Amino acid sequence: MTRILLVEDNEMNRDMLSRRLERKGYEVELAVDGRQGVDKAKTLEYDLVLMDMSLPEIDGWEATRELRADPATKELPIIALTAHAMSGDRERALEAGCDDYDTKPIELNRLLGKMEALLGRQSGAEGAGA
Amino acid sequence: MSSRSTSRSSAQAHRQAGLLRLTTGIVSAHTEDEIYHAMVDGLHDEALGYSFLGAFILEPDTGDRVLRASAGWPDAPESWRVHKGEGISEWAVQDGKLHYTPDVTRESRYLPSRVRGSEVDIPLRIDGETIGVLVVESDDLDAFDEEDFEILSAAADQAAIAIARVRLIDAERRRADEHKALLDTLADLSSELELSRVLQAVIDRAVTQLGVTGGEVAIYDEERVELVVVASRSVGKDSTGTRLKLDEGAMGAVARTLKPLIIPSYHEWMGRSEKYSDITVHSVMAAPLLIGRRLVGAIATVHSDPERVFTEEDLRLLNMFAPQAAIAIENARLYTEAQRQRQYFESLVQNSPVAIVSLDLDHKIVSCNPAFERLFGYSSEEAVGCPLDELISTADTRSEAEAYTRGALHHAVHGIGRRRRKDGALVDVEILGVPVAVDGEQLGLMGLYHDITELLQARKDAEAANSAKSQFLANMSHELRTPLNAIIGYSEMLQEEVADLGQTTLVPDLGKIHTAGRHLLALINDVLDLSKIEAGKMELLLEDFDVQAMVEEVATTVRPLIDKNSNRLEVHCPPEVGGMRGDLTKVRQMLLNLLSNASKFTSDGRIDLEVARERDHGEEEVVFRVRDTGIGMTPEQQQRVFEAFSQAEASTSRKFGGTGLGLAISKRFCEMMGGGIELESEPGKGSTFTIRLPTVAVAAAEPHTIA
Repeated sequence: MTRILLVEDNEMNRDMLSRRLERKGYEVELAVDGRQGVDKAKTLEYDLVLMDMSLPEIDGWEATRELRADPATKELPIIALTAHAMSGDRERALEAGCDDYDTKPIELNRLLGKMEALLGRQSGAEGAGA
Repeated sequence: MSSRSTSRSSAQAHRQAGLLRLTTGIVSAHTEDEIYHAMVDGLHDEALGYSFLGAFILEPDTGDRVLRASAGWPDAPESWRVHKGEGISEWAVQDGKLHYTPDVTRESRYLPSRVRGSEVDIPLRIDGETIGVLVVESDDLDAFDEEDFEILSAAADQAAIAIARVRLIDAERRRADEHKALLDTLADLSSELELSRVLQAVIDRAVTQLGVTGGEVAIYDEERVELVVVASRSVGKDSTGTRLKLDEGAMGAVARTLKPLIIPSYHEWMGRSEKYSDITVHSVMAAPLLIGRRLVGAIATVHSDPERVFTEEDLRLLNMFAPQAAIAIENARLYTEAQRQRQYFESLVQNSPVAIVSLDLDHKIVSCNPAFERLFGYSSEEAVGCPLDELISTADTRSEAEAYTRGALHHAVHGIGRRRRKDGALVDVEILGVPVAVDGEQLGLMGLYHDITELLQARKDAEAANSAKSQFLANMSHELRTPLNAIIGYSEMLQEEVADLGQTTLVPDLGKIHTAGRHLLALINDVLDLSKIEAGKMELLLEDFDVQAMVEEVATTVRPLIDKNSNRLEVHCPPEVGGMRGDLTKVRQMLLNLLSNASKFTSDGRIDLEVARERDHGEEEVVFRVRDTGIGMTPEQQQRVFEAFSQAEASTSRKFGGTGLGLAISKRFCEMMGGGIELESEPGKGSTFTIRLPTVAVAAAEPHTIA
């Protein structure tokens, strides 16, 4: 089963998105701040990270940079989630190393499309590497 | 004569000694009167022994003879005047020859005096002109002989020569005095530029030189056609400030005629001014002050002594002073004019809030204004003479500053830079440099410094405030979206869950919550977009994209909305439209907005989306047309449709939904990309919105920054 790490500090968002993803057949693990998110991601138990950008401890951009700096998680797919619609957020997220970007509120089908695109690409990459 | 009764030889010697004393006396005399006295006294000397002698000198104006010296006449009246044509000595005056009258009592012309004997009259002649007569008398009848005539003629000739010499010296001295007076006055003109003081000096000298009682100078007031007395000397009162009309008084008269005038008897003169009725004026001489033919004033001198009259010689002297006074008045006028202009410009520079400095050709400071002193902290004394760029530039800005200075010698330069104050602090300044040339001669340059520290600070503050506002908006939108996420997300999720649980009756209510949440979110997004546009924070992300692919994607997205109102969407986008460069997200947002508007205000109708490449004024454009067969708009509604928060009618937003911001945002987006949006509409028939965008959009220039 595809394992997703959802890094989100807002409890309702965490609950809602995890439940909806679980109903779509994903296994979802939760992290409540950037530090925890990085620590859990480094266990290498996840296929994809959904990363909120506004996080306590360390924010999503910094967390992403840390993961990208580590060779083990360099290729781990990360989708940035943010409520910020201010221009430049998308660029900042991609600059930090996120593979894609989506704004909240989540439109589930749109997000699922982005997730599947990355998971497919990654498995393709794995296949090519194997 | 009795003196000749001594022995011949000793008498001869005695007479020789007397003649020598006579000659010595005449030669050593310094003035005319000393000469006359030397002459008569020498002849009266007991060695020569003439008893009664008088020197009568002609008065040039009257022709009368006035006794200037006498000997042997202790009771002779002083300045005894013998009128022209009277007396025996008149003959000598008339024919310039010696006349001998052996018996005076026989002559009808004889004026009775104490002498009742004989008389010899010898003319005193200079250059053939008789200036007077030496009268020698004796109590005895026929007391004179040829030898006496010889002695007396010789004495008269010697005296005449001496007088000629003294007169020559006097004339020379007077010329020298006049010259000195002129020089003194001119010296006053250059050192003492205050007009009334110069004119006072002129009138003081004129009064002294002419030997008159007093005088005054007036300047001509062209505006009021009057003379104003500005300098006055000993006329009996201080007449300065007196105003005279043309033809009023002596100066008024000469101001009218422009010719000099002598008035021998002022109190009888018709043109006299009442303004001088309180002082004693006997005679007046006046002259106009002229520059060319232009009247600038008048000068007048007065005699209060009835015995004194003005002569042509006086007029000649007055005419020497008149041009000086005229030139003084003209110079003062020109000077005042120049001074006024200079002061005007000086006060402009002095009071300018902009620092102004002038430099010579070596870039050294010639002068600076108070604003410069304040801005850079150097006093004028400290700054003058220093090379400007050494004074106020730093090592970092030195070469830049010198480039400005070099450039400003030839043309105007303008820029912004940072300069150093005396205390080392740096100031941000706007710099303007211009060459300074007078009559085509390059003299140096002028630099202007405008302190823009506050301006830059204000700009920083404004930017900070703006940035704070943007931050606030971002935070606000975040804070609003978080609960909204829950509303939208949970309502959406619940719809899925209750459907799974078979409780479908709840689905429409959950759908309403979901729709309301979505609407609120759209509203927040639009307000945020508009705020960003207003704040200039909205940026364009330009990318190349295929128009057809984008249009198809938009059509797919909008299809459910179209279907909802039973409308039909026709898309016409030929492949030759090709690609364009623009902000894809914003173009998509605009098309979605137009299409959703069209479907909202149309039911059971048709909506066309036509895309074409067109040329407008040589510029290639991509044109998107959205045409509907809906309710349309009146001209009044059309006018307001692009304004924020203005759906055509307030009720429409309740009926049709939407934020009322979509068209306002679309219009701004189009403009940002260098295009525009147009509308054609008719109530009841439908509307057509046309978006025109350049095929290659150029991001608006970055905001101006000052380094």
